[in-house]
Amino acid sequence: MKKIYHNPVGVWKYTGLMFVIPFILGFLLFMLYPFVSSFIFGLTDYNGISPPEFSGLDNYISMFRDEDFRNAFAVTLKYVLILVPLKLIISLLVALLLNMEIRFIGVYRTIFYIPSILGSNLAIVIMWQFLFTENGLVNQIIGTDISWYSSPHGSLAIIILLRLWEFGSAMIIFLNALRDIPQEYYDAAKVDGCGKIRCFFSITLPLLKNVIFLNVILQFISAMQEFNAPYMITGGGPLKSTYTIGMLIYDEMFKYHNAGYANAVSWVLFVAVTAFVLIFYVIAGRKKENRK
Amino acid sequence: MKKIPVYILLTASAIVMIYPLLWLVGASFKSNDEIFSSAWFMPGNFDFSVYERAWRTVTAYSMGHYFVNTFKIIVPKIFFALVSSTLVAYGFARFDFPLKKLLYAVFMGTMFMPAISVIMPTYLMWSKTGLLDTYIPLTVPALFATEGTFVFMLIQFIKRIPKEYDEAGRIDGCNSLQVLVYILVPCIRPVLVSISVFTFLWTMNDFLNPLIMISSVEKYPLSLILRLSADSTGNGYEQNKILAMSVIGLIPSITVFAIAQKKFIGGITAGGLSS
Amino acid sequence: MKKYILAVILSVVSLTACGGKSDITAPDSKLDPCTIRFSWWGGDDRHQATNEAIQLWNKIHPDIKITAEYGGWDGWTEKVSAQLSGGTAPDVMQINYDWLVSFSPDGKGFYNLRQLDSLDLSQFDNDVLSFGEVDGILNAVTVSVSGRAMFYNSEIYKRFNAEYPSTWNELLALGEKFSQEEIYPIDLDIQSGGTAWYLAVVYVQQKTGREFLSMDGELGFTEDDIKLALDFYKQLEDNHVIRTVDVRTDEDGSAALYQSPEFIDGRVAGVLEWGSSVGKYEMALPEDVLETGVLLSDDNGNNSGWLIKPTVMYAISKDTEYPDESAEFMNFLLNDEKCAEILGTTRGIPSSHIAEKALESSGKLVGLAQECDELLENADTVTISPYMELQQMKDFYNTAIEKVSYGKADTAEAAHEMYISITEYLEKIRK
Repeated sequence: MKKIYHNPVGVWKYTGLMFVIPFILGFLLFMLYPFVSSFIFGLTDYNGISPPEFSGLDNYISMFRDEDFRNAFAVTLKYVLILVPLKLIISLLVALLLNMEIRFIGVYRTIFYIPSILGSNLAIVIMWQFLFTENGLVNQIIGTDISWYSSPHGSLAIIILLRLWEFGSAMIIFLNALRDIPQEYYDAAKVDGCGKIRCFFSITLPLLKNVIFLNVILQFISAMQEFNAPYMITGGGPLKSTYTIGMLIYDEMFKYHNAGYANAVSWVLFVAVTAFVLIFYVIAGRKKENRK
Repeated sequence: MKKIPVYILLTASAIVMIYPLLWLVGASFKSNDEIFSSAWFMPGNFDFSVYERAWRTVTAYSMGHYFVNTFKIIVPKIFFALVSSTLVAYGFARFDFPLKKLLYAVFMGTMFMPAISVIMPTYLMWSKTGLLDTYIPLTVPALFATEGTFVFMLIQFIKRIPKEYDEAGRIDGCNSLQVLVYILVPCIRPVLVSISVFTFLWTMNDFLNPLIMISSVEKYPLSLILRLSADSTGNGYEQNKILAMSVIGLIPSITVFAIAQKKFIGGITAGGLSS
Repeated sequence: MKKYILAVILSVVSLTACGGKSDITAPDSKLDPCTIRFSWWGGDDRHQATNEAIQLWNKIHPDIKITAEYGGWDGWTEKVSAQLSGGTAPDVMQINYDWLVSFSPDGKGFYNLRQLDSLDLSQFDNDVLSFGEVDGILNAVTVSVSGRAMFYNSEIYKRFNAEYPSTWNELLALGEKFSQEEIYPIDLDIQSGGTAWYLAVVYVQQKTGREFLSMDGELGFTEDDIKLALDFYKQLEDNHVIRTVDVRTDEDGSAALYQSPEFIDGRVAGVLEWGSSVGKYEMALPEDVLETGVLLSDDNGNNSGWLIKPTVMYAISKDTEYPDESAEFMNFLLNDEKCAEILGTTRGIPSSHIAEKALESSGKLVGLAQECDELLENADTVTISPYMELQQMKDFYNTAIEKVSYGKADTAEAAHEMYISITEYLEKIRK
């Protein structure tokens, strides 16, 4: 049976393909080779300099015996599970506030985005040290004696705080989406006697669903690959409590000259991310079915 | 008056967000000792000579030269990313075509690969072309929709626009490309602004890619200059000079954002944009 | 199937591992006009001095241009490792000691310097030259040699009326005295410096006469020796000589000691640091406050076992098209008197006799770096094996010390684990 392509009337079935040609070329030119070679290096014993030696699944097998790997995976998952939901909630709430008609709104928006502009600037290292060391500003203000840097929970917390503080990009995506929800919807709801909170849950949230999905995926991917924040702030410690998979890959690749293993771990991370995203898709898809 | 609590909330959180930046500016005037002895951001005295030294850099050029270098990367990159990402996103969001499922899966896959693990093979590939130490490896890939995040963003936003818009355009005699340019692009203009801003800021902050691809000091972008003097292995460095360089480096980013933020919300507010 | 896989691997390999030209350009003892690339990492002082030196070179050899490629230490290894595997490395490079093991395990990763006549090796002692040899091939020339020594905050020691320790026991005894004011006589770290393991190795080497690692990467310590080292570290913590890892991390975060208020305000009154880079500690305190101590010895005055190593080295890329010109330039950097005066001690005190003399006669060899150098020169030192410096090895040391310090393992367990990790790792990379 001939496949039917659901396109607007009169549209050639290859039109869509024409539009995605830049991606096809980009993939073939710039990505295919790095991907394939990374996969192949994962099957070899390779130090980055001498020719790689084929070693089959050795790297994958040794991963299961590698305590650092198991620990890094657990740390990464914990990090992702705490960070991603919190960041989504905060960025959505702030976006709602910054979508209001308020004086100086531009100034507020800029200020809230400043931490994200800093990104991984060297200055953050000094700033965090100033905030979170034993006699740092945070302990002084709240009058506590928390060991942020030197306890496993504390150090994970300050990394998560850094990334929460940089919620700007997720916020912008929400702002982009909030603008096109027509005011009439809210006006109509008000007439029906709908309160602010119910409006949010019955109008705003459903209309934002694919943008929420978008932000979940983007934040999830970047959190799973997190490397810079622990690298700068804690060096992965103490006792490897902030040693993420991203850091492990980096160390194995560039510091320990163990490129074969680093690539194998990359592929495991790749498969894990893919699996989670597929699950998100299934969940998102099922919700749609239900509504029908 | 009802909005007073909102103002209080916003202002309080704005202070939390911006205090570190104020502190950073203040710290650039302080000695190491002073930095940690006081939580107050104001330095004891303002000695602007540190900014003069920061601007001069230790190289043969001033920071101005490195700003220009950075813009030589950023400007084409933004343009390339906008055009290619929009075309590809439109293709995926609005059309059905042979191999679509496969291509979409491959596309998603490219976003999942840890960037660190492909940086070496990418370098080796470029080393065969003789184009290392030029800006081409840093800009040209953007022409081919290699920034998956942007394509993915645009797909989601295009999907929010009702298909009736396209139909209306077609009835008026638009072809597929014209539908994109005249109907969809105006609707997603704020998203395109966001993408430009992201490209700007991420390129400003990117360290590892230029570090590996660019060798000549005169071609360094700003991110490499900011770390040029931070040497932990040798005889130390002037910390406040490095902070001063960071502060100078932030000015264009903050300016660009302050200008662009109006457009995140502005543009045409087309009613009934959701299906 | 297997053949097919191998074919694919080979094609990938052909594009990567054997990057660059396969044949090495032979020297012809002529200097042709050309442009050569020279790369280094460092801080402002080094950048400035080196750029000046290049200007001087331009006056002497206007037809051999030098492109300077430099940056901070952060990420520099990554950059050079990409360049080396892509065959795009600069002609002349400043390299780190352990790169010899990582990038030239068979001695063929860099140009064989003995083939180049214009490089005057007679200015170097034979043992100093041997640091740059791998499998008998001279890969790199040592720019300077340095080791760590103890430096103390003289104000604090005066306040406590304390002498700088000269034996291990005196050091251990200081802890109690200083603890009354919650001050620590010295500090050791497990971050970038890794001084904790360093001092423990010195202690055990002196005590047992065994070397931790041989130059070609054989483990000289027994499991008991490792335990002895960890016990010694634990003893330092228990006696309040150094902060525990917990306290140090809590107080300093990820900051280096010289940037931490604890050091600047004198709550930590001593450091173990390379003579070549003690300047940053010196500058953090008021002028002349930091002073050099002596190399700690046992109670019989035996102060052997202290370590030295090349701080940085110069090498020439095996892919260079201009070996003679590169060698000429390298010789200028190492052995030219005027150049030596410009460079000063920005890469440590030069090992080249002629350069050292030039600095001496211009009065530039003073200060802590020089004092440290003299201490080590007059002691029975051990050369650090490049294997000791490998990042993976440092991770083993630091993991063990962190576990002991946090009480997650006793010294016997940690020593056992470390012994096994090290033996397995060395076996893997030396095969």
